[in-house]
Amino acid sequence: MRWQKSDVDKYVSAKEYIDTLIIPLIDFQMDQDLENNAFQNEVLTILSNELEKELTGRIMLAPSYYYIKTFDKDQEIVRLNHWVENVKKQPFKHIFLLSFDPAWKKSEQALDASFVWIPKIQSGDIGSKEMQHTIREQVKQIGELIRSYW
Amino acid sequence: MSDKKQQVSRRQFLNYTLTGVGGFMAAGLLVSPLRMAIDPVLKDSASGELVNVGISVDDITDVPTRIDWTVEQVDGWYKSEPSRSAWVYKDGNGDIVALSPICTHLGCVVSWEGSDAHPDHFYCPCHDGLYTKDGVNVPGTPPLAPLPTFEQEIRDGMLFLGNTIDREGA
Ligand code: FES
Repeated sequence: MRWQKSDVDKYVSAKEYIDTLIIPLIDFQMDQDLENNAFQNEVLTILSNELEKELTGRIMLAPSYYYIKTFDKDQEIVRLNHWVENVKKQPFKHIFLLSFDPAWKKSEQALDASFVWIPKIQSGDIGSKEMQHTIREQVKQIGELIRSYW
Repeated sequence: MSDKKQQVSRRQFLNYTLTGVGGFMAAGLLVSPLRMAIDPVLKDSASGELVNVGISVDDITDVPTRIDWTVEQVDGWYKSEPSRSAWVYKDGNGDIVALSPICTHLGCVVSWEGSDAHPDHFYCPCHDGLYTKDGVNVPGTPPLAPLPTFEQEIRDGMLFLGNTIDREGA
């Protein structure tokens, strides 16, 4: 399910079946590496959307959580945990945070959700066959990981 | 004196015009669903066309295989190329069967023999939905209807698929 009215209607009427929430964590920063930052944003968004498509009947894809990469992580964790705390009330049994940024990994213990680090995809043509293949492969693996929690 | 009376202030003027525009927009919103219901010519027909899904009939075996293709679609705000998928195989008579992979329960993607515990079935990982090879839902699992089939055609030995066709539940 996506965060849009038609899907949320479905969610409300089938809540007992949808017990998993996914929040993509995307760093946004305008530094010398603009292109790469935009590219990674694009890739993670596509990846999350594809994942949602595969498992739409059991997961809800939350709006992405954007943050400045160099900002103090401890403060981000406090804010992010507020999101988690809030959505848990629905209830959602499993909450996954998806990110390319390994910096979160260090603070994993402080997060109230399962952190899934995804290896970065090297820059390239987002529409190309290879890229589609790579993304599909990653979606498959993350899907398997999520299913192992069910 | 009378000159002052006639004058419309800048603010008033903007207000008038905005109400005017808003009114038109509201009218548009009211009219369009009606028009769509009445006038079949306005209905979107592009989605109904059969598309070459890139597999030749000779390459289709009796084992369901997943194929993916894209169609061009304009809906609402976006022009997009959504991907479509199907499970295709040849049945006992050699006829091609193309099934939608979308679980009729809540829409997850099913896969052929997706669970080791259920060989010879389509399996939905979300709530353990099961379908037999012909796409019919197994009673006692969450889905209440079979997997939809596709409008299909064979042209020059290639498989063409169109819209999905819903089927009645088992
Ligand atoms: S979505 Fe397939 S069993 Fe629920």
